[in-house]
Formats: sequence, structure tokens, C-alpha cells
Amino acid sequence: MVNQPMIAAAAAFTAAVALGSPAARAHAFLDHASPSVGSTVPAAPAAVTLWFTQQLEPAFTTAQVSDKSGNNVGSGNAQVDPNDPTELRVPLKPLPPGTYTVAWHALSIDTHTTTGHFTFTVSGG
Amino acid sequence: MDTLLIAARAVHYAATISLAGPFAFVCFVATPEPSERLRRRLLLLVLGSLVLTLVSGTGWLLVLSARFSGQPLIAVLPQGIVATVLTRTRFGQIWLARFVLVALLALCAVARHRRPGRAANWAGLVVGASTLASLAWAGHGGATPGHPGELHLAADMLHLLAAGAWLGSLIPLALLLAEAQASNGPYWAACTRLAVLRFSVLAGTSVVILFAAGLVNTWFLAGTVPTLIGTLYGRLLLAKIAIFAIMVTIAAINLLRMAPRLVPVGGGRHLTLWAAVDHLRRNALIEAGLGLCVLAIVGSLGILPPGLHTEPGWPLPFRLDLGALATRSEFLLAIVVALAGVCMVTAIAAAAAGHYRGTLIAGGGLILCLGFGGIILRPTIEPAYPTTFYALPELYADASVNRGASLYAANCALCHGTSGRGDGPAAAGLPVHPADLTASHLFAHTPGDLFWWVSNGRGDGVMPGFAGIMSANDRWDVINFIRARAAGLISRHIGPQVSATSAPAIPAFAFETGSGQQTLSGVLAAGPVLLVLFSPPPSAERLAQLAAAQTSLSAAGLKILSINLGRIGMPEMEPPPPLVGISAEVAAALALFHAPDDGGETDLMLDRAGNVRARWTRSGAAGLPDTATLAADAIRVAQLSAAPASHAGHAD
Repeated sequence: MVNQPMIAAAAAFTAAVALGSPAARAHAFLDHASPSVGSTVPAAPAAVTLWFTQQLEPAFTTAQVSDKSGNNVGSGNAQVDPNDPTELRVPLKPLPPGTYTVAWHALSIDTHTTTGHFTFTVSGG
Repeated sequence: MDTLLIAARAVHYAATISLAGPFAFVCFVATPEPSERLRRRLLLLVLGSLVLTLVSGTGWLLVLSARFSGQPLIAVLPQGIVATVLTRTRFGQIWLARFVLVALLALCAVARHRRPGRAANWAGLVVGASTLASLAWAGHGGATPGHPGELHLAADMLHLLAAGAWLGSLIPLALLLAEAQASNGPYWAACTRLAVLRFSVLAGTSVVILFAAGLVNTWFLAGTVPTLIGTLYGRLLLAKIAIFAIMVTIAAINLLRMAPRLVPVGGGRHLTLWAAVDHLRRNALIEAGLGLCVLAIVGSLGILPPGLHTEPGWPLPFRLDLGALATRSEFLLAIVVALAGVCMVTAIAAAAAGHYRGTLIAGGGLILCLGFGGIILRPTIEPAYPTTFYALPELYADASVNRGASLYAANCALCHGTSGRGDGPAAAGLPVHPADLTASHLFAHTPGDLFWWVSNGRGDGVMPGFAGIMSANDRWDVINFIRARAAGLISRHIGPQVSATSAPAIPAFAFETGSGQQTLSGVLAAGPVLLVLFSPPPSAERLAQLAAAQTSLSAAGLKILSINLGRIGMPEMEPPPPLVGISAEVAAALALFHAPDDGGETDLMLDRAGNVRARWTRSGAAGLPDTATLAADAIRVAQLSAAPASHAGHAD
């Protein structure tokens, strides 16, 4: 009896205008990282930490940090923090100055996989 | 593999609904069951659905295991990936539980058949409902964190249960009606009347729940009008809603036109009655078919990224800027929308009941409402382009702004000028004056509008398109730079009084403190920030003042970030703190927000969105703010942050 499309559109319109959209979090996307995406840090970090927009499945989530020539500079496997399943941490070997690429492959608890990569630079200064 | 997954999902939804539905039917619609034969048929329906549920559920599990691991489908069983998925992922654990539930349901079905009774019916209903509702965890609903996540999950479960109760009862209802037709006696006429009446209540309740829960889900996953009509996800969702609307209309015809005919007419001749039963049975089958179409769409929706995560292509040459609407007009618009909704519902209900005059009157009312709504909305019409609602793929941050600055100098400054005011060396010879990119009017356009112009040109080719010259990311960098520069210039007009008017946001940046790297957005999440920009370096006395102020302002929720634009690198740890360290890129981006004549210090009060709400300079008439002013302002800004920032509006 109710004409849904019109009302849904009107309601979505009103919702979008009045309330703004909520942060829909389906799929795990990279929220932020330390060192930050694209940043230059003076000192070599001991680990790269990635925070995602959603909880991760540890069994199928990985991240690898590599240097300019593609060598893995991680000192162990990427670990999802058991206390905060949105946090993924990769321990690092001592890094000489240079630019490093972090490539991640995340499976969120709603069964969706996402991938991405970013770089950061250690200036050594 | 996508097709396989969509098929497995669609079949699984349909099979689970068909598995749980008969239990809802015997609990709510056909109590007591009118015949032994109907009970046998329902058992066959349940067992058939059960097999399909298991097969499709296993298929879903296998395809997902292949996707999770990146291995081919045939490799997932021998390599033990399925076992890992079942034991070590949330999806797998839910699947294990659901397989147990399906086995329990088989027991319920057989028990019900052996010894009919209410206990077995209700047990079956509870287990069937759990099997259906637990599907919510396998989709987007189980993924939103925190309290909104619980709401989303609850809405998803209600949506599934309501769909199951309605759709799942359609086939049993059709079976009952077929039985009634075949028997054609007064006993069956009474049974049919009662069943149809009860079914109407069940279906009506389900439709209301489906609609309400569907709105919640739409809000979480599609979010805005551009994402609804501009993404594949949104369009599929609209198609689903349209089919749902047709189903509801058929239901309305059943309720308003067919059900009244079930009353036996005098003389014991039930011709009208049996014709109505025939109609009802056919309508139930048509609705079930439409329901399958809806579930096919559901199968696809679950594997697509929700609308909010994709770039919506805008199909219309205009958009409505409702933000430009006066409060009074908004109020009028809400009334008109509500009236239009009432007219539409009335028109459809009247048509379904066969009152065509009522339909005409309500339709006339609807046209009037639409006309009036159009008049209200006229001033909000803005030109729009396919890219208007694109989200920025390049973060509005220092790195992008700096890349954009050099791209601007190489590609744009010739006409738009180094300052951006449209006064470049080539500007004078052009038939159309280049746009002033520093006016607040810039922010009346979306970044997507700017992207369209930079890509495709403007003014009948006076401004060339840069799609072939700069990569898409480069063009977004230029837009980020233009917006940051304009935001910096506009911030100079922001006075020392906090008001509803603000300058657009400062670009995101990271900085070093003694205890590691932090981001502006991270600090802003906790509350307002006073950004203090020094150039040249500040006196030790001023820093001591700020350090003292920070101690007393922490209580008001204000954080002070002091930055020396002339010094790149680590934070200055010698007492007094708190000067944070920044990179050269951050210094270059923040320099846009500091005027050369500020006397060496600019203080910017930022709200949670990073917009500039108040500004003081050392050389300004109002001087620098004292601690009491800052504390009061921080509270005001925290209150203002809840309301959307109002930038200067459209000028032409």
C-alpha cells in the first residue's frame, strides 16, 4: 500500500540533509597508520601499525613492508591486536633511511577482502 | 566466481526463507491445519528447502574460502582452507552454528509430522527464525562497530524475519488455497476465509517492519541521494524497492478487493468466492515470483561495496542544494513531502480497492503537491556534472596540497594568476575572464564540480580541459591546493569572535611530539584545537604563557598545538614545551593559513571538522586571546561543531 521508492528517496534525502551520513563501515578500509600514509619520519620506527575501519579476521589478514628493491623488511608476521581487532601491526628490522612500501590485504569480519598500499620515508635526520 | 557467489547467496536466502516460512504459516495462519494432505505437502516443502539450504550454504562457504585465500575453488577442501574458515573466522563459526540449526529444524519437521501439535510448530518457528536471523552476521549488518552497529544488526535481523514470515508463507498459502479449490466445500470456504484474514495481518505487520528496518539499512549503507542513484549498489537497491512496491500493491489488491469477496453470497452459491480464491492463489504465486527477484538482487547487493564506498556518477544535469534552503522553506517542504506521501498511498489503496474516483482525486492532490514542491525547490537547483559527487580520492592533506601547488604553478597560473585571483599574464587577452579561485564562492561548488571543469574545460573552450595533460590524481591534487589556498585566504576574514560562520577546513597533517607521531584529525577527534602558527620563532616568554594556558585549558577540552613554521624536524623538547615538530611539506601547507602581516603569530580556533571558527593575530586590533576567552570559546566551538558549518553562499 505504501509507495516505497518515493518515501525512501524522501527519507534518504532528509536523512542525508538533516543528519549527515553515518560512517558506513562495511568492508575494512585503512583508517590511518603509524607512520602516517605518505609521511616522512626522522627516526626508524620499530613497527608499522595500521588501523582499519572495521574488525579484521586474523587468519586471512596480512601486511608486508618492503624497501625500494622489494626486500621484506619485516621482522615477523603481521599480527592483529587481540584486544583491538581493527589494529594490524608489522614488526620491523632496523630500517636505514629510505622509502618503504606497506602492502596490506585485509579480510573484514563481514567476509569482504580489501587490499591497498602506501609508502613512508625514513629521513634519518 | 562472483556469479557463483551471487547464485549461492540468492538460492540460500530463498531456501532458508522457504524453510522457515511454513513454520510461521502453521503458527500464525493455518491453526489448526485443515487437512492431513496439506500437512504432508508442507513437510515435503520443508525437506526440499532443507536440502537446498544445505547445498547452497556449503556452496557459499566454499566460494568464500576460495576468495579469502586467493586459491582456486578445487583447492580449498584438500588444503584445509575450509577448516580454517570454519574454525577461525566469524563467518565460519556462524556457519557451523547454522548447520546445527538446520539439523534441528529437520528434527522439528519430522516430529511435527509424526505428532502434530502446537509445541512442535513453535519449536520449529523458533529454530527456523534463528536460522534466518543469523544470516544477518554474514552480511554488511554485522560489520558496523559500536552501538550504531547493534542497531544495524537488529534492523537487519528484523528485516530478514519479516521477509521470511511474509515471503515464506506465500507458497504454503498457495498450497492451502489450491486444496480449498479442489475440495470446494463450506468447510474449506470457512478455512480459507480465516487463513486469508490471518495472512493479511501477518503480511501487513511484515510490510511495516520490512519498510522501517529497510530505511535503517538504507541509511547505513547507501546514505545519500547521489549514492542511491549514482552507484550500482544504490540502483539495485532502488530496483529492489520498486519490486517490493509492486508486491505491496498486489497485497493491497488482495486485501481490499479479494478478501471481501470471501464472504459467502446468499443461496449457498459460492461462485464469487471461488473466483476470488483462484485470484488470491495466483496473486500469491506472482508475489512469490517477485520475491525471488528481490532475493536475486539481495544476492548481488551483499558482495558489492555499499554505495557510500564508491564514486557515484551523477546522471542529471542539475542537483538540489538543500543546504541553501531557508528554515521556513524546509518546513514547508517537509509538509509537502508528507502530503504527497499521503496522496500517493491513498491513490494506490483506492485503485487497489476499485474506487477509481478516489484514485483520481488523490492523484490530483499528488500532482498539486509535486507542483508546489517544485516551486519550493526551484532556488536550490544548481548545475551538476557526472563527477559532482565524487569523493576526493586524494586525501585533503599537506602532501596533496603541495603537489597541487607545483602543478598549479605549471598549468594554471598563466591565466588564473599566481595569487589565484584570475589575474595571470594571459588573462587580459581572453574573451572570458578567468575565474577568481580565491573567492568564498569556490566552496559553493563540490570538489567534483571543480574536477569536471579542470578535466573538461569551461567557457566554450576558453579554459582547456586538462584530462589529457594531468593524471586524475594530479587534477585532484590541484583541487586540494586551490581549496586550501582559498580556505587560508578566507580564514583571514574570520574575526576573534566565535560565530556560526567559519572558514573552510585546514588540510590534514601529521606532527611529531616527544611521545611519537600524531595527526591533526586524531587530536580534533577529542575536541577543539587552538593552532598557533609562529613565524619567526616565538619568544620563550610566549611559549611559557601557552604552556601555562594549556594546563588550565585541558579542563575546557581545548588542546593547543604550537608550530614554528620556520623550523623543520623534531619537536623542541627544551622547556618550555609545547612546540611540535613538522615536516617541510606541512610547513608549506600551513603557511597558506598565516598572513605575512600577522606580527609573527596567528592563532586559529579549529572545530572538530578542522574549520577555522575564530582567528587572532599578534598585530591584530584584538590582540592575542587570554586564557578565559579561550576557555569560553572552546565550549562555544564544541557546541557549534554539532551544527553544520555555514560557508559563504553562492554569489551569482
